[in-house]
Amino acid sequence: MSLLRIAKRQEPLGVGGSCCVLAAALALSLALAGVFLALGGTSPLSALSVLLHGAFGSRHALEDCVLKAIPIYLCALGVAVAFRLKIWNIGAEGQFALGAIGATWAALTFPELPKVALLPLMAAMAMAAGGLWGLVPAILRQRLRTNEIIVTLMMNYIAVLLLDYLVYGVWKDPTSFGFPMTPLFSDAAIIGRIGGTTINWGLAHGLVLGLLVWAFFRFTRTGFAVLAGGDNVRAARYAGLPYDRLVFLVMVASGALAGWAGFVEASATVNRLQPSIMVGYGYTAIVVAWLARLHPLAIGVAALLLAGLRVGVENLQLDLQVPAAFGGIIEGAILLTVLAGGFFTTYRFTRRKRP
Amino acid sequence: MVAEVHLLRLEAISKSFGKVQANSEVSLSLSAGRILALLGENGAGKSTLMAILAGQLQPDEGRIVLDGEELCFTSTEKAIGAGIGMVYQHFKLVEAMSVAENVFLGKKEGVWLRKGDMHQEIARLAEQYGMRVDPAARVGDLSMGEKQQVEILKLLYRQSRILIFDEPTAVLTPAEAENLFATMRLMAGQGKGIIFISHKLEEVMSVADDIAVLRRGRVVAAMPASAVTSTGALAECMVGREVLLQVDRQPLELRQIVLKVAQLSDFGLGEVSFELRQGEILGLVGVAGNGQKQLVETICGLRRPQENAVRLLGLDWVQFFRNPSWERTLAYVPEDRQGLATCQGLSLLDNFLLTTSAGFTRGPWLQRGLAADKARRLMEEFDIRPADLNAQAWQLSGGNLQKMVLAREFYRKPRLIVAEQPTQGLDIAAAEDVWKLLLEAREAAGILLVTGDLAEAMALSDRIGVMYRGRLVDLFAVDDEDKVALIPQMMAGLA
Repeated sequence: MSLLRIAKRQEPLGVGGSCCVLAAALALSLALAGVFLALGGTSPLSALSVLLHGAFGSRHALEDCVLKAIPIYLCALGVAVAFRLKIWNIGAEGQFALGAIGATWAALTFPELPKVALLPLMAAMAMAAGGLWGLVPAILRQRLRTNEIIVTLMMNYIAVLLLDYLVYGVWKDPTSFGFPMTPLFSDAAIIGRIGGTTINWGLAHGLVLGLLVWAFFRFTRTGFAVLAGGDNVRAARYAGLPYDRLVFLVMVASGALAGWAGFVEASATVNRLQPSIMVGYGYTAIVVAWLARLHPLAIGVAALLLAGLRVGVENLQLDLQVPAAFGGIIEGAILLTVLAGGFFTTYRFTRRKRP
Repeated sequence: MVAEVHLLRLEAISKSFGKVQANSEVSLSLSAGRILALLGENGAGKSTLMAILAGQLQPDEGRIVLDGEELCFTSTEKAIGAGIGMVYQHFKLVEAMSVAENVFLGKKEGVWLRKGDMHQEIARLAEQYGMRVDPAARVGDLSMGEKQQVEILKLLYRQSRILIFDEPTAVLTPAEAENLFATMRLMAGQGKGIIFISHKLEEVMSVADDIAVLRRGRVVAAMPASAVTSTGALAECMVGREVLLQVDRQPLELRQIVLKVAQLSDFGLGEVSFELRQGEILGLVGVAGNGQKQLVETICGLRRPQENAVRLLGLDWVQFFRNPSWERTLAYVPEDRQGLATCQGLSLLDNFLLTTSAGFTRGPWLQRGLAADKARRLMEEFDIRPADLNAQAWQLSGGNLQKMVLAREFYRKPRLIVAEQPTQGLDIAAAEDVWKLLLEAREAAGILLVTGDLAEAMALSDRIGVMYRGRLVDLFAVDDEDKVALIPQMMAGLA
């Protein structure tokens, strides 16, 4: 007979307990990654040190982390909004692409507009495009009972191909020597940097939007309805909450936030639209949202952490010739260990008492 | 009398959850071939004790002795292996699977299932104990009563020697309950030991050989049923004071029609027609699974009827549910408190807001502080425990959860109330409170009371309707003694 037994928790796991579980999950995923490295002939400890130093060891590295964390944060925020209603939006990647497309359309169509008009217009177009891209699977789900996981996932591929079509075709810069990219945006279409850093004002966008999402769930009636509907669909119908409309709302909001990330990335980071902006932030966002248990503030921390992982793995590639796929392996391991750690929020192990 | 064999003994079992002492030095013994009834109010610790016996929970202290051998159950599987089976209040069935598949679920030997044999065996077993359930039926399509039979079949199939029934009659009609009792006696006759948890004193008196009363986690009385003089004495023992089992119901003047059902024939219903007026309670009785569920779900907006079949507060169904207001309207107290009336993962405050949020809204903002004040007062008034708005719904016992739902729904000052098994799982004192609430609410509302407890229907209703196979067989005033006498036959489709 084993000495440990599983018992259901009588009290929900507190904040401290949750943090412990998360830390343990992260440690376990790093240990797993270490095993993979050791198998490949790389010393896990030196790799860890290169990873950490590369990610957080210098001012340049830290700024790079923050830069990458901004789009991840916005996408994860969007994903979290949909996840609150238990709508599994895996389509942040595609909504991100549509956001970038929407913003680019505004930037290329009205290059002469002043900054104060053009940037809001780009943001609005990005949100509209991303939001509509999110609305489609929502409508299909509620009207035709399709599975939103599959539809959102498939639409990612369509979105990326649409982006490719635009930059290889109609929007291609005639002076780009055949490279697939749009012309550079006008200065008015570029989100500037904060002071003397390389970090752009997208950071402030993230903070404001994060605050709005938090306030939405904390203080508004619609936010409450989403929480209730996410906990129990039948109870939502019982209470007369407009469940269909809630699904549409969260998917539009989710897509709009990912779209905003696309806008920031195109405008601030590359100053144009090009395929290289699609580096999987939308998928990382899913890991981030789960890691943070959908809480806006925690999403910020988790986004920074996973951005750091991306930056660190780049160094790992250069210094120790570890393949780029390694970053994906760690990301996947983190998601799995965190999901497994969810077990401890409802159950606990207790030591068996000898009678 | 032959010396009794103690099949099972509980010795000084204690169990606490945090600060709450659910069981405190409980000692009980069960003999083979006898039916032991366990009585107690909500939160008296019955469910905890039975969960310990069934291996769901482990006691902090004390011993379980089966056939003179000490046992330590670490899982329900082990308890079932030892021959202890439980029919839970909330059924543990796989809805998407057939009756036979559910019964055979968890069976160890053999890799292949032979459908024909399976069905035959179950049909035989069911027949042997006077149960009528189709082995091929999908469990999700069954009524509560039929689901319970599947649970019992599961235990019989596993040849459990000790069967525990947690408020088994709560979902049954009197006729079904009689069937169940016959089954229980048959099983006891074969030397099985039966533990029967109930709030219904008459039932306990009629079926039990031994009676044990729990109060605040302790055994306050244990005696053979023959030693009990009256149900009143038993009730007093249970709640610690005299209770009135009768309520005073004065007929009220009938006012406007609040609900009109005309020729409703959707979802297996057969031309159901009736009117409900403000000032009256219409008690709907019948064997579970005869269309009550479909009728209630249609009235309450969960199923859409054809046009003009259902009118609520003067509006057609579609109009009514297009933009329902939150107060002075329809309040639905469903039978399924956990799955339908509450969000188990949300706090009590959020659950209070579930149907009342519109009343605490200014612009887009939800006034949680205001709602919390109100909810706190209601918790006190309804004596909901734990009295903590931050507690999550899953932490509440069934009775307390029901009180929470009732507090919330009555707060909305409804004009039409649909109450489905409103006192199921409640102790006598709480049930009495609910009855009084319903009678008071009658002043402002018309009430449709769907209940499996005929005594409850008789005590509260001004009119009684009987459902059988989706039809409203008859509808009559409660003082029509001839008709009242015919209710059992009507429920069986004989009259």
